[in-house]
Amino acid sequence: MEVEKLVGIISEEVPRRKTPIYRVILSFVVRDFKVWWTYKFWLLLDISGMVLFVVTYYIFSLITTSQQVQEAGYVIGGYFTFALIGIAFQQYVHFAVQSINESIREEQWNGTMETILSTATDFRIFLLGEVCFSFIVSSALLLMSLLVGFILGARFYVTPSSILTAIILTVLLIASHMDIGILSTGVIMKVKQGSPVTWAFSWLSQLVSGVFYPLKLLPWYLEWVGKAFPLTYSLDGIRLCLQSGKDLTSPVIITNIVSLVIFIIVATPIALYVFKIGYDAARRDGSLGQY
Amino acid sequence: MEYAVETSDLTKVFENKEEGVKQYIKAVDHVNIKVKHGEFFGLLGPNGAGKTTLIKMLCTIILPTEGTAKVNGYDIIKEPHKVRSSFGWFHGETGGRSLYWRLNAEDNLKFYAYLQNVPKDIAEKRIKALLEFFELTKDSKKLVKDYSTGMKVKVMLARALLHNPPILFMDEPTIGLDTISAVETRRLLKALNSELGKTIVFTSHNMFEVEQLCERIAIMKDGRVIADAPPSVLREMLRDVHAVEVEIREVDDLSKTVEALSNLSIVKKVMDAKNESSNVIVRLQVDDEYEAIPIVASKLHSLGVKFSAVRRSEPTLEDIFVKLTRGEET
Amino acid sequence: MKVEELIKLFKDDKPRLSSEVIHVWAVFWANFKIFLSYRTWVIMETISTVASIAMYSFMGLQVDATRVVLAGYGEVDWLSFALVGVATANYLWMCVSRLSHSLQHEIREGTLEPIITSLISMRSYIIGQSIRGFLVSGYFMLGVIVVGIGVLRTPLIINLETILSFIAVILLMVLSYAGIGIMAAGLILVYKKGDPLTFLFASVTEFLGGVLFPLKYLENFPILYVMAWLMPYTYALDAARRILLNGATLLSPNVLLNVTVLIVYTVIFIPLGLKVFKWGINRIRHEGTVATY
Repeated sequence: MEVEKLVGIISEEVPRRKTPIYRVILSFVVRDFKVWWTYKFWLLLDISGMVLFVVTYYIFSLITTSQQVQEAGYVIGGYFTFALIGIAFQQYVHFAVQSINESIREEQWNGTMETILSTATDFRIFLLGEVCFSFIVSSALLLMSLLVGFILGARFYVTPSSILTAIILTVLLIASHMDIGILSTGVIMKVKQGSPVTWAFSWLSQLVSGVFYPLKLLPWYLEWVGKAFPLTYSLDGIRLCLQSGKDLTSPVIITNIVSLVIFIIVATPIALYVFKIGYDAARRDGSLGQY
Repeated sequence: MEYAVETSDLTKVFENKEEGVKQYIKAVDHVNIKVKHGEFFGLLGPNGAGKTTLIKMLCTIILPTEGTAKVNGYDIIKEPHKVRSSFGWFHGETGGRSLYWRLNAEDNLKFYAYLQNVPKDIAEKRIKALLEFFELTKDSKKLVKDYSTGMKVKVMLARALLHNPPILFMDEPTIGLDTISAVETRRLLKALNSELGKTIVFTSHNMFEVEQLCERIAIMKDGRVIADAPPSVLREMLRDVHAVEVEIREVDDLSKTVEALSNLSIVKKVMDAKNESSNVIVRLQVDDEYEAIPIVASKLHSLGVKFSAVRRSEPTLEDIFVKLTRGEET
Repeated sequence: MKVEELIKLFKDDKPRLSSEVIHVWAVFWANFKIFLSYRTWVIMETISTVASIAMYSFMGLQVDATRVVLAGYGEVDWLSFALVGVATANYLWMCVSRLSHSLQHEIREGTLEPIITSLISMRSYIIGQSIRGFLVSGYFMLGVIVVGIGVLRTPLIINLETILSFIAVILLMVLSYAGIGIMAAGLILVYKKGDPLTFLFASVTEFLGGVLFPLKYLENFPILYVMAWLMPYTYALDAARRILLNGATLLSPNVLLNVTVLIVYTVIFIPLGLKVFKWGINRIRHEGTVATY
């Protein structure tokens, strides 16, 4: 190729239109899928890890009593169903938050971060694109773990209204954890260390959100801390739907939904702001490509 | 042990699987070079010519597919451990990776001094001196991650010298250095070579520095050595090439001017045209420089081009390099 | 400093003497310093450790104590039972993942190449890295036990004999896995990825080893039960529980049996691991992919 020809091709006037957002996001999903597909082995590991997790808590449930769980108002399924819902949804959001962080770190590691951010893509869309694919994967894993649990003896209320309510709660759970993911990514860009922060957050939310036990078992101060975590409201709501057949007509559910919505309204601007600070700070000291 | 480095049919073929189809890439193809003890040897070639792979094989990091080599008299395949105690290696292309970014410069150097078995007292003295030489003393307690690329390069250079090896493999040592540091580094390498008799194998893109430093130059292309001679001999290859250089200050349409010049009967061809600060330098291959200068000047004048000089141009290594690597007749 | 002075300095030279001890020390020292520079990591990991112990203590409130007796350690409460499990499983996981993690780092940052060109043997390198792993993970295990005894008042039996026996069992446990860790490291060199494997390893250990429940309950799943007794961890955990829950020592027959199994695993797997690692190094030298920046 001669220089003149190349210059001719590049300088050809093409009107620049704004690419529609869904196209941008789709291109991220397609890219992630292609990368992920080269690691088919991982899928196998993810699934076997998930199955092991469910079976572990099944056997653990054999040495527990379901008394406390039933006293807390979760009617059917006993301790195993209770713990299954807790761990499945907690892992779901942990996986999501972690994958936001990890994809950013991966971009930094590969040095593709600077390239992407130097393109015309808005960083909010960039973030959305980054997480979309991992939500698809983790949703599939969530359904699978509930299925495995069902085979092992977990029992759920399956009525259209309870399922619908559970789905609404799940969507709110995802939205609230997107905020957490974005916020932590902002921090990570500055401090350059991903997983320890997410792990610590994951353990803390397991402690205070009632993943493995009804909140009544916690001392009052930890119960109060738990109220700051969106996982607490989602788990309570989802369990009431799936274990006690509650739906949108129940005031407890409405309270949970309202709490989640308030959390999202408050947290979204804060998360975006913190992300922007971290991103600008990283640009300022030129460490975007660092990790 | 006559040669410091001696390769015999050294070959490296990389396997690359792309969409299930195996591809073979000959990175280094039956290379035979001999570097004498105390020689300053240059390795020149475009990107992907195989210079780095060749050096990495000599450093025992990459195993050859075929052939072998001796470094300091030791076989790189059979006696890697002895080979490793004979050389210092610098790899500029990494752009300052290959250091521990979360340690400071001093700790990085100390770590490698331990690994290279340098006695403690000597290591301390050398680290202090090297840091001072590379003007890193005041930053030596800062973590390497906060260094500029140039500073990282300096730490890597210091690391290569730390154990005072008889042979130095310097892969693009001045990459990422500012001009003054590059000059100092070249002076140091020259002195290491002339005063301490170190054998230096040097690769670079910078023709000027290779010409200035090296006693002998091998030019690589597509994994093969296509020329191996002292710079003066290489230049001799262009003895029959006569060239004139035009320095243009201001011009409306450069390509038109270049075309007009190339149409002159005395001009055999346009060798290159490139921007140099505010000027454009056009080099023309001609039959006779002294005849060509006035003709070219008057042509430029008639075209209304503002130019500051038309002069005879010495053939440079770059010409040889371009000539050889483009696969033209020699 | 002028060129001339530097040259003069290089003129006086002493012969270099090879010492594996210094190599091991250098790897340990440099990597320990790097570890300390990750302050956030240390803080976050400490928070995780404390939070997880607190969580187990609340989980314990739902456990039917009579079903823990089936484990065969007498009338112990579930929290002490689980705490020993969590402490040992965590320790093992950290040791194994540290080694693979730092190796991936060395590959990605291009620091493995200069190490290969230096005079250190890969054996010294691995030993140096592992010592760092033992110490760093030890910090967190100590945390688990101190919080367990101090805050949660779990009745672990702590005296000089049990402490020494416990440390010996932990060392043996790590050694019996060292071969597998080194093997994984060798595979990481070639395939560059290892995290999902170590993750699976962690969940298998936590599940099959009986960290949270007596292994008796696995008997209904014969395949899993057999697999559990194929893992050295199961033996180490059993020994650790006998020591800390029942006050046995290294010389008690039950413990001794476990210890023997661990030694057998050590003797078999370490040479195998080193072989795989060596294969890995030579393979990447052959492929020319020591660094992948």
